[in-house]
Amino acid sequence: MPQYRDPHEQAQVALVLFHVGPYRAALEAHYVLAMTDRPTTLRTANAHSLLYVGGDHDALPSRWLTLRDPQTASDNNSTWQLGVSGDITLQQLPANTLYPLPKLLLSRRFSTALCGVTLDQQQLVLLLDARKLSP
Amino acid sequence: MSAEYPRGNQANDLPFATQTLEEALATHGDTETVVDVDEPTQQLVLFRLNGQRFALPGSAVREILPSDQPVYYLPGLPTSTEGVLHLRGQIESLISLHQLLGLAAPEGAPNGMLLLVRAAGISSGVRIEQLDDVCEVAQSMLQPPPETLTATLQPYVSALWQLNEREALALLDPEALFDAYQQGLG
Repeated sequence: MPQYRDPHEQAQVALVLFHVGPYRAALEAHYVLAMTDRPTTLRTANAHSLLYVGGDHDALPSRWLTLRDPQTASDNNSTWQLGVSGDITLQQLPANTLYPLPKLLLSRRFSTALCGVTLDQQQLVLLLDARKLSP
Repeated sequence: MSAEYPRGNQANDLPFATQTLEEALATHGDTETVVDVDEPTQQLVLFRLNGQRFALPGSAVREILPSDQPVYYLPGLPTSTEGVLHLRGQIESLISLHQLLGLAAPEGAPNGMLLLVRAAGISSGVRIEQLDDVCEVAQSMLQPPPETLTATLQPYVSALWQLNEREALALLDPEALFDAYQQGLG
C-alpha cells in the first residue's frame, strides 16, 4: 500500500555523531552496524587519518564504529572499524539543515567522503559518506 | 544707481590674467573631455589585497558582507580555503585569493570584508582586505592587460584601469579564478 506523507511533516535523517580530533562529524546511522570500545576486526582506520593530513595521529580512538566494507560489496558480512573519539550520539536531524559541500570545494577536499556539513548547537558537523570511507 | 567699471588703464591694473574673448570661450569648447552618457559602462567593485588594487565585475558580486560573519573551519582543504559561511539557510565556501594571485598571505587573524561572488554557476565568499568603492566605469577606460603583467596575474586579469600616472587597477575574471581554484591552484 502506498504511504502518504503529511506535506508539513519535516523529513529527518538519523545520524551517528562523534568527534574526529577537534572536529565533530557524522555518519548516516544506517551504515553503522555496531560500536565497541576496542577493535574487534583486522581492518581498522582512525577517522582523522582518512579525513585530513596532520593532527595528532598518535591519539588513540576511544570508540570503534563497525561499518560495512564498501570495497567488498559482494560479501555482506565483510566489515571494518572506524576509530573515533568523544561522545557518540544518535540524532535525528531535519533534512533541510543538512547542506552539501559547496561546489568550489568538491575537487579540493582531502577525502571524497566529506560530502556536506550541518550546524548543531552553533557547531559545525562534517557529514561523511560512509560508502566512500575505507581503511 | 550706478556701477563703477574700470576704464582705460584701470583694467590693465587688475590682478587677473587677461585673455581675449576667443580664448575664454575656447576653454569651454571642444577641448574639454566630454563624457558620452550613452557610452557603455561596467559596474566594478574595487578592493585591495596586500595593498594592491583589484576589482571584480559588479555583476558577479552578489553581496558585500562584514568581516564579523562567523566562519566555520573545515579540515582537509587547502590553506586558501578559510572555511564555510552560513548565510540565510545556505552554506557558502570562503576562499582567499592571495595564493592564486601570488600575493603574500596577510599576517594575523583574517579581517577586511567578504564578497559573495557568483560565476560559472559557482558561488563562493572571497576575503578582501579593504573595500574601496562600487562604481560605474566607462568601458573605454578599461584597457586590455599589457604583456608586461606578471605571469601569475595574466590568467586572471581581464582588463586594466589606469587610475592615474602611477596607479592601475586589475579587473579580475571570477570565472578564471574559480576554475583555477578547482584545478588545484591557489
